Amino acid sequence: MKIFRSTLVWLVASMLFCTPALAVKFEISSPGEKTIPLAITALLPMQAAQPGIAEDFQQVLEADLDLSGLFSLVNPAAFLSDAGQLTLSSTQVDFSQWRLLGTEAVIKGGYQLEGDDLTIELRLYDVVSRRLLTGRRYLGKKHDIRKIAHTFADQVLLSLTGELGPFSSRIAYISNRSGHKELYLMDVDGYKPQRLTDHRTIVLNPDFAPTRKELIFTSYKAGNPDLYRKEIYTGQESRLSLKQGLNIGGRYSPDGREVALTLSKDQNSEIYLLGTDGTIHKRLTNHYGIDVDPSWSPDSNRIAFVSDRRGNPNVFIVDVHSLEVERLTFEGKYNATPAWSPKGERIAFSRLEDREFNIYTIRPDGTDERRLTFGPGSKEHPRWSPDGRFLVYSLERDREKSIWVMRADGTGARRLSADGGNDTHPAWSGRW
Amino acid sequence: MESSRKQRWKQLQSLFEPGFRRMLVISLLLHLLLPLLYHTPWFPKKAPLKPPVYRVNLVNKPVANPQAGRPEAVKEQKPEVKPEPVPAKPVKPEPVPIPVPVKPPEPPKPEPVIPKPEPVIPKPVPVEPKPEPVKPKPEPVKPKPVPKVETKPKPEPKPAVSKAQENALQQRLDQLRADQAKKQAEQDRKNRLEALRAAAASESTKVKSPVADAPVGMLDGKGDEAGVSAVAFVQEYIRQQWSLSQYQVSGSPEAEAILLYSANGTLIHYRFVKKSGNGIFDDSLVKAINKSKQLNQPLPEQMEFHIIFNLKEMLDRP
Repeated sequence: MKIFRSTLVWLVASMLFCTPALAVKFEISSPGEKTIPLAITALLPMQAAQPGIAEDFQQVLEADLDLSGLFSLVNPAAFLSDAGQLTLSSTQVDFSQWRLLGTEAVIKGGYQLEGDDLTIELRLYDVVSRRLLTGRRYLGKKHDIRKIAHTFADQVLLSLTGELGPFSSRIAYISNRSGHKELYLMDVDGYKPQRLTDHRTIVLNPDFAPTRKELIFTSYKAGNPDLYRKEIYTGQESRLSLKQGLNIGGRYSPDGREVALTLSKDQNSEIYLLGTDGTIHKRLTNHYGIDVDPSWSPDSNRIAFVSDRRGNPNVFIVDVHSLEVERLTFEGKYNATPAWSPKGERIAFSRLEDREFNIYTIRPDGTDERRLTFGPGSKEHPRWSPDGRFLVYSLERDREKSIWVMRADGTGARRLSADGGNDTHPAWSGRW
Repeated sequence: MESSRKQRWKQLQSLFEPGFRRMLVISLLLHLLLPLLYHTPWFPKKAPLKPPVYRVNLVNKPVANPQAGRPEAVKEQKPEVKPEPVPAKPVKPEPVPIPVPVKPPEPPKPEPVIPKPEPVIPKPVPVEPKPEPVKPKPEPVKPKPVPKVETKPKPEPKPAVSKAQENALQQRLDQLRADQAKKQAEQDRKNRLEALRAAAASESTKVKSPVADAPVGMLDGKGDEAGVSAVAFVQEYIRQQWSLSQYQVSGSPEAEAILLYSANGTLIHYRFVKKSGNGIFDDSLVKAINKSKQLNQPLPEQMEFHIIFNLKEMLDRP
């Protein structure tokens, strides 16, 4: 009996030991596909077909989504019959066809033109889950087609990343196409350049107001480099700061209530805070070195700027409240034009090396410095897109200066401004 | 009070068989021994959390006890897979569709056909008689509308018709030929793509084992079956179904899921042990799992996988 019991206990124990592992555990630390296979079908006419509409729309949308770096666009030549069907409801779409092509998302849509009134219906479908991700109906004029494409590209990014894209915003820049350095405005793909000033002198350093359709910039119109403010739609212009000496590098605070800029009214360039009425609120730096190019942190508590107080120009950060200054960059002989990213994670700046500037980014604590641009030409004046996904900058190559855009990791660089002028000092607007 | 307790205990004891206490003690000891035994080599352990990274060929069969070898090695079986795509090439006789048949309709087309070069073509017609005052006297005016067709002057001997018409015709022909060539090129490309798809094993054939004659197996294989580890296979399979761009997420999301597969490679059920909290990331995992509902190879047995998904490898963000 005893032996029997002992054996029984032993058996129970053995059974416990022999129980197989619950689950084989492993890690997958990277997706196999690092882009989303996306199919963009041509817009189909909902009534009579009109030449050019579908093509223009497709071109703008594709360019925007390609710049995002999120997608690998499926070759339209491989599309099957569903691409030719105007299916604006997920129940009508033949998702199996798209699965067959390895597509994960598909954009479909139709248009209708009555006179000059344009209606565009657009849908973004998730092929795997067979559901509608976003659907939009846009009403506008025929000439709004690019705008509609940009706006829908923003929506696509919102659906797939949780954050709106910046494609319907604008870029301001300085160009000498008219023979003088004037302020211009263009779409984020370089389309529709529009001259905003006619000062016939030198205009510099534009910056967008975060909450209004308004720009500030420096102009020598009155002989002195004064800070101007210009309303974009009304065209109204006024001088915001006309202190003796420099009034340059104006940057709106994230809430739009103050402007940081460089004044040299006391014979030395220092960073100041101005109210939007032009009154000085605060002096932020006090050093015999030259302090220029302020850039706000998104929380408005700190400002990055360039100073030569330690010899060579380097990027420093000043605390707006305590006025404590700390040095950010230590490498390179010339670091300039800092731009704090909208999310505060990184600061972009340009560094002179081997007679050429290149764009770098660094974390605000001074770590993880990364070079983003390579190749010939001098790249300067980096500015962030409102979502922090892209950087716009000016490139000087072969004696020509042009505006370029790239992703925040330095990939996908492409030219925005057209030939035939020197374009510099870009600034990206907020949500338009 | 106390006596009543003792009485109850005695009653209970009377119910127990003799030797029950000893059994109880033994049982207790055995339970205490459990934690010690856990560390003995014959107690089954879970797979290591971070197994070595293998490049697994998804064509090779997952087995329970893979032999020593290389997971990317290829079984020499189907070299015929490649020739399949080839038939596309012989179709090349592009020149056949030479726009010859198109010639007849040309006469009526001269003007309406070409939208872009239009301004170039019609002008030279009236210029012919009075080109001299414009620039040079000779006829070099014509070379303008003829960008690349220098070889065509031969058919010109009979300028009975209009030269401009001839040129327009020629241009149209060239354009058609170019279109045809383009179409053909596109077709070739498609064929090649098809061929690539058809040869699903092409991936494996490309990745030759660095060690000649290496058998299909795992680097740490100790079994006797030709194939890859089922774990490595499933890991690679699901990884390939997972698509996510680095531009879609920020931070370092991590999620854990348990997937139960039947022996024939069908997903029986899955559940998330932990979600990342990032909707985009979690959604991409659900999609990847959905796409992995059916593995393309059977498994050696029903298996459960506890998978940790993160982006450590992809994001070199600090």
